[in-house]
Amino acid sequence: MTRALVLVLCLALAPLPASAHKVVASVFASGEVIEGEIGFSSGAMAANQPIEVLDGSGNRLGAAMTDADGVFTYRPTVPVRHVFRADLGAGHVAEIEMAADEVAAILAAAGPGGMPLAGPSDTDTAALAAMLRDELRPLRREIAAYKEHHDLQTILGGIGYIAGIFGVGFYVAARRRLAG
Amino acid sequence: MHIVDGALANPVVIGGALVAAGGIALGLRHLPLERIPAAGVLSAAFFVASLVHVPIGPSSVHLILNGLAGLMLGWAAFPALFVGLLLQAVFFGFGGLTVLGVNTVNIALPAVIVHYLCRPGVTRASAPVAAIWAGVGGALSIALTTALVAGALRLSGEQFIPAAKLVFFAHIPVMVIEGLLAAAAVYLIRQVKPDLFDSLKGAPA
Repeated sequence: MTRALVLVLCLALAPLPASAHKVVASVFASGEVIEGEIGFSSGAMAANQPIEVLDGSGNRLGAAMTDADGVFTYRPTVPVRHVFRADLGAGHVAEIEMAADEVAAILAAAGPGGMPLAGPSDTDTAALAAMLRDELRPLRREIAAYKEHHDLQTILGGIGYIAGIFGVGFYVAARRRLAG
Repeated sequence: MHIVDGALANPVVIGGALVAAGGIALGLRHLPLERIPAAGVLSAAFFVASLVHVPIGPSSVHLILNGLAGLMLGWAAFPALFVGLLLQAVFFGFGGLTVLGVNTVNIALPAVIVHYLCRPGVTRASAPVAAIWAGVGGALSIALTTALVAGALRLSGEQFIPAAKLVFFAHIPVMVIEGLLAAAAVYLIRQVKPDLFDSLKGAPA
């Protein structure tokens, strides 16, 4: 028990390198296109990764490819649910989807006569939007990494569950033996 | 090592779940009162071991400790590792709930195989010999797990040889580490608490 406890403490307190066996992926509207990024939860991005674009029922709509930073763009043509699927090998599959109404909003923005703008011109808005996206990208990445972060409470909670489950098992086994 | 949701074909997922259920049922029958605490400790060790990462190139691999669990528990490794995997899926998002069965089989079946192959060696009289057998068992269980993972991917359509090679070579450092760890653990147990193996051997299996 002491050995297990020491092991647990060593593991919990050691500065653990980030986990890489979870794939982190996200898609969002980016002006007239859908932009997305794919990477591992360690922060490494999936570069030059082919991505399949499917509709809600699994029909192939097209394909995309990530650049060196794991970012890809896809220009939608039909307002249906879009599913982006990337197979990173060895059982790592990323699947992200964008709802039909979000795709429709992108198409509306791209289409002629969509969203008349009163104040700044189209080019200004596009430049502003691009700037905002660049500013937000590291934040989004940090949030994604934070979601993957396992703190001490989570680990201790899990160990508590294990103790509880085996405690119940022990209780049942002991009752059975006492009854029998 | 954990296969994620959506990577496998449905028949593989269902088949894995059935085999896992059978293994767990069998494991629970082989888990007498005396062995429940040991199973719990190994389950907890397995649960945290997955957080120890060995970075390999763009990806990384983590410790599994299924060999040690198999040597200590035999068939009871199935329920112990299943609990660990379930909590890893819920807490950390490793693997997923639908592929839990396949992952349980991939990790617990090698543990049981190693139990039958190396357990006689581990209960030998000489502690160094026992440690060597434990090291072989620790490494072998990882090798078998990579083979099963590659097999599951193959059944789902991925090319077998590249997938198997990738998974196998990525885990060679883990095999070395797990082998050393299992050897050290068994050597320690033999030195400080030799009756741990005896009492388990004496328990009805």
